[in-house]
Amino acid sequence: MGGTPADMAIPVDWYLYLSAALFIVGAAGMLIRRNLFIVLFSLELMLNAVNINLVGFSRFHENLAGQNFVLFVMAIAAAEAAVGLAIATALFRNRQTLMVDLFDRMKG
Amino acid sequence: MTEKILFIVFAALAVAGGIGTITRKNVVHALLVLVFVFLNVAAIFFLTQAYFLAVVQILVYAGAIMVLFVFVIMLLNLRTFEQEEQTHRRQRWIALALSILVLAEFVIVLAGITFTSARGGFTPEVISAAGDGTKVFGDAFFNNMLLPFEVASVVLLVAMVGAIILVKREKTAGATTRVWEPGERPTPEALEEEV
Repeated sequence: MGGTPADMAIPVDWYLYLSAALFIVGAAGMLIRRNLFIVLFSLELMLNAVNINLVGFSRFHENLAGQNFVLFVMAIAAAEAAVGLAIATALFRNRQTLMVDLFDRMKG
Repeated sequence: MTEKILFIVFAALAVAGGIGTITRKNVVHALLVLVFVFLNVAAIFFLTQAYFLAVVQILVYAGAIMVLFVFVIMLLNLRTFEQEEQTHRRQRWIALALSILVLAEFVIVLAGITFTSARGGFTPEVISAAGDGTKVFGDAFFNNMLLPFEVASVVLLVAMVGAIILVKREKTAGATTRVWEPGERPTPEALEEEV
């Protein structure tokens, strides 16, 4: 690692590997599971993977913009959780199920 | 050296928790494991000296957002779904193979890259000399990102209003509110309908 600052204890690639692993776990959960809640959890996992990336690079480049951006990702995650859960509630009320492949009424 | 060992431990726990989240049948168990993942991510933020974000991660993510999930899970009766099939029958193996393929791709690409630090100057020494990390963070945040911050507040407001509208039960035009005669006792089913 030629570019890593001497005072950075953890190499920046480690963050990237961790973030890639978490992101892929989230993506796999999103594609594989049928339960709407698990799909939403997978989404949160993926957003967290992005946050790890941003924080790692923020430390690596010695620039606080990455850390600031994490706050926006968290705000969007909160908004997404609120709207997603509202949609889940409305769907459950109308269809009595939460399995995502059963919501196919708009299919042509 | 200690940091490296701790990083590996927390990273391994986070990934293991992530795999646990997407394999649990019970949604509440999945949620608890997800909170565990968030705590590990917060620990990694601590190791990176992003203290403010670590605390926000615990407070907002593991605290607020997950409590929201818990409330909705308790609201809906999800136990009945544990008997159903949990994975997409047709696409699960394709999805799994694709995920492993993309992960391999990530690893191969990352192994070939050497990053060069841009040396922005905000080293931990500089930050601790300028006061505490939260102060420097706040200075950078409100000097450079004031407009996005205001936009984010509007986004949150829209999400709040949207969530209320979505959950609110619509009053259909034909439906009239039922009036109970004095002395008449509503059946439990009718009460259920009313609420």
